[in-house]
Amino acid sequence: MNPSELRAKRAALESLWQEGLSGQALLAKHTELIDSNLSHSFKNCPADTSEMALVALGGYGRQELFPFSDIDLMILYRDCSDDEIKSAAEAIFYPLWDAGLEVGHGVRNKEICLDDAEADFFFQVALLDARLLAGNNEIFTDLMAEFHTTFVHSQRKEFFEKMVSHCRLRHERFGNHSYLLEPHIKESRGGFRDLQAMLWSAKVVFGIDSLEELGNSALISQADQQNLEEASNNLIRIRNRLHYISGRKNDQLFFEHQEEMAEAFSYRTSKAMLGVELFMRDLHNSLQTIAVATELFFEHVTDVVGLTRPEKGDKKLEQGLAIRQGRIQLTAPELLTSRPHLMMRTFSQASATGLPIHHRTKKLISDNLELLNDNQRHSKRMAKAFLDTLQAGKPLTVLTDMLETGLLSAFIPEFEHLESLAQHDIYHVYTVDRHLLQSVAELNLLAQEESAIFNGLSSPLILLLAGLIHDIGKGTNQDHSEYGSELALVIGKRLGLPENERDDLAFLVRHHLYLTDTALRRDIEDEGLIRQCAKKIQEPERLAMLYLLSMADARATGPTVWTEWKGALLQGLYLKVAHVLEHKEMAPPDQKQAGHWMRDQIAQMMGGSTFDLATLPDDYLLNLPAAEVANHIRLRQEALPERTTILEPCDMDDHWQLLLMAQDRPGLLSRFCGVLALHNIKVLGARIFTWNDGTVVDVVDVTSAVGNQFDDQEWQRLQADLDLALNFQLGIRHRLSKKIQPPGRKPKLRTIKHPHSRVTIEPDGSDNYTIVEVFSEDRPVLLYNITCALLDFGLSVYRAQIGSQADQVVDVFYVLDHQGNKIHDPQFIEEIRQGLIFAAS
Amino acid sequence: MKKIEAIIKPFKLDDVKDALNNIGIKGMTITEVKGYGRQKGHKEVYRGAEYFVDFIPKIKIGIIISAEQVEEVVDTISKAAHTGKIGDGKIFIMPVDEVIRVRTGERGPEAI
Repeated sequence: MNPSELRAKRAALESLWQEGLSGQALLAKHTELIDSNLSHSFKNCPADTSEMALVALGGYGRQELFPFSDIDLMILYRDCSDDEIKSAAEAIFYPLWDAGLEVGHGVRNKEICLDDAEADFFFQVALLDARLLAGNNEIFTDLMAEFHTTFVHSQRKEFFEKMVSHCRLRHERFGNHSYLLEPHIKESRGGFRDLQAMLWSAKVVFGIDSLEELGNSALISQADQQNLEEASNNLIRIRNRLHYISGRKNDQLFFEHQEEMAEAFSYRTSKAMLGVELFMRDLHNSLQTIAVATELFFEHVTDVVGLTRPEKGDKKLEQGLAIRQGRIQLTAPELLTSRPHLMMRTFSQASATGLPIHHRTKKLISDNLELLNDNQRHSKRMAKAFLDTLQAGKPLTVLTDMLETGLLSAFIPEFEHLESLAQHDIYHVYTVDRHLLQSVAELNLLAQEESAIFNGLSSPLILLLAGLIHDIGKGTNQDHSEYGSELALVIGKRLGLPENERDDLAFLVRHHLYLTDTALRRDIEDEGLIRQCAKKIQEPERLAMLYLLSMADARATGPTVWTEWKGALLQGLYLKVAHVLEHKEMAPPDQKQAGHWMRDQIAQMMGGSTFDLATLPDDYLLNLPAAEVANHIRLRQEALPERTTILEPCDMDDHWQLLLMAQDRPGLLSRFCGVLALHNIKVLGARIFTWNDGTVVDVVDVTSAVGNQFDDQEWQRLQADLDLALNFQLGIRHRLSKKIQPPGRKPKLRTIKHPHSRVTIEPDGSDNYTIVEVFSEDRPVLLYNITCALLDFGLSVYRAQIGSQADQVVDVFYVLDHQGNKIHDPQFIEEIRQGLIFAAS
Repeated sequence: MKKIEAIIKPFKLDDVKDALNNIGIKGMTITEVKGYGRQKGHKEVYRGAEYFVDFIPKIKIGIIISAEQVEEVVDTISKAAHTGKIGDGKIFIMPVDEVIRVRTGERGPEAI
């Protein structure tokens, strides 16, 4: 068979697959195809092959040839010349390479073979599956006989130990996060390798050759054997397709393949779950089946070949439970019928002692789950044992065992729905059930890391339970937090929790995303937001639990979800809300603290001043340097009593800064703006503060509208006009109007609509003020017009940001109505909007 | 070509992203960063435990654009990221010598 023929045949195989040939049948067909090709090449080989044998190894030896698997071959020879071997190897290997196949090849005589097996455990294992394809049968049987004598019959224990340690290494390597999201069908825990490791061990230790024989031998149960066959067939189908759609030997089910796979295997999206999630759930279940069954088998063999630990430290724990060989064992299985809670006690004992549970005991529990009826689910003894388990130091192993034996779902039936439930996104690397167990483990770590918070909890158990069930509402088409909190009430009641604890539990489940969402998506500097949070959470203890749960949840979701950065945001929110809850203070601690700090600084600068620093509002203090504030106070005390206004201009190189101080009065801001416009001064930005004693401090950044230098500007006249204006003696409007229309020219259009003018009003835009924003084209009189309009409506401006950018102006005013309230009446809001649009146009 | 680097408050990311999308900027690099400027760090004491908040979490957005787009992009970011409070952030504009698309080897503005 030449390469193109081989290629054509493999293409034909792919068409057969597309028509539905899959599973074992495809593997067999593929093996057959390669077999016939190779025996043909061997027969027609120009060399003398009478002293050679062609041997298939590994997966090909087992006749399990996946579409793009390596083809492991060995030419075994005896007394052949180098030339003969070379010519045979060329005739056999070259066509395979030319057809684009991956070939693992070796040329050995018996001695080399045995040496290699000695040196390389993997080659030793590959020889276990050796199969004669063509050539001298005698050479092959001779090798096999010696191989079995040397490496199998006398080495059962050593072989098994090596196999177990290789499995452990492999699980470590393929157990990390990336493989959870994108499982490796071959190497992951529960993948093909585990199944093969079991079969190899069965072959070496017991001389058993197949899964079927293994089932018959009672080494594993018939039910297990059947489950294993099903799981393995599922994996075979997936791996076949994976090879074909990747177009290469790829055994990892990458994220981007998962949807395509689900569709090909006819998984349909339902209301509650995506098709791809159902598909991944089945895959995880298959992996899980193989993992649990093979681990049970390995533990059993460990006992049989006498590798168990010394029998010291055996002791009775309670009636029916004991420590044997360093493991927790149910010693009297017949007791289970009358005392089913012993099943749960097994786990609480395992938690308490930190010892593993014996595999036969686990098996016993999973075989007796029907004893756990509804009565038992309401039993106090059962509940106590369960809650004890949660509170142990390192609950992850114990809870994992509880999940894998099925006891967890038998006790909390709401949990069953979550088993192996995958979430198709790149964040959730664990299936939901594992994520929940992981959350409990993270909470246990946090008990150490955040001990100050954790130790303050009166009932940490509720937090741990919330960790275990916070996602219990997932996998339905309802909001999982809401639905989950309903389930939490039911579960809490069944566990016999008092009402207040049930409420806490339901609260934690309902709001488990609240803090994280808020910290990441809201402005946590906003006092109003902090108060809202405080109002929602109410109790410091609930806040503390919610904070710990949020961290545990994020950390248990995946390595990309939790970062120190997010931790800092969440901590910031937590501390702010905590202070409001504990001290009933409005200002979060950092602002309060900064305010105190500023007052201290100013007091030091002012020496023995009698000025009451409480007069200064926090937002004013936080917006200006201490030295400037001290200067304002000095001016307020020394100069202002004798004058209407204080105006201090300052040259800042690229612009000027004006400080205006005066006693607050209606129209102060608009008059100031008007006078500035009269003097050809353009406002760039302004910060407006009002002290508690009614002193107005405006810090205004300005520039000359006509290109004046700082020294050219007539500051004296400006101050004089300002005083006149504030004493109601200056006609600002007619003067401005004259100024804008140069004499002799008629105004073009009385009302030019400026298309870009836009006004938004947010009644609760800030904590204490309504926010008015005016967007408009920049004109000299704009600010005056807007501030006059605000005055018409009796609105007092408390703060303002006047930002000019290019020819667009955004003016932001923090206002209250004439009675000092925020503005909520929709009609009034609309009236203001219209008034301002008119003024800005 | 210019590189715009904007430091903004984390919760403003969606607003800024949407605003940039609206003016046709589709590609950007987002980094979670920490830092401090005028909004200094501080120490907090709560229930006897001390919490040092020495760096404040921020988002850094990186965009490469042609020189003509600079004003519009800066304007868009400033408006969307604006809260008027301390810590609203900063925008840096810097020159970019060359852009190369790795896949095709294209250079210059077409490769942005």
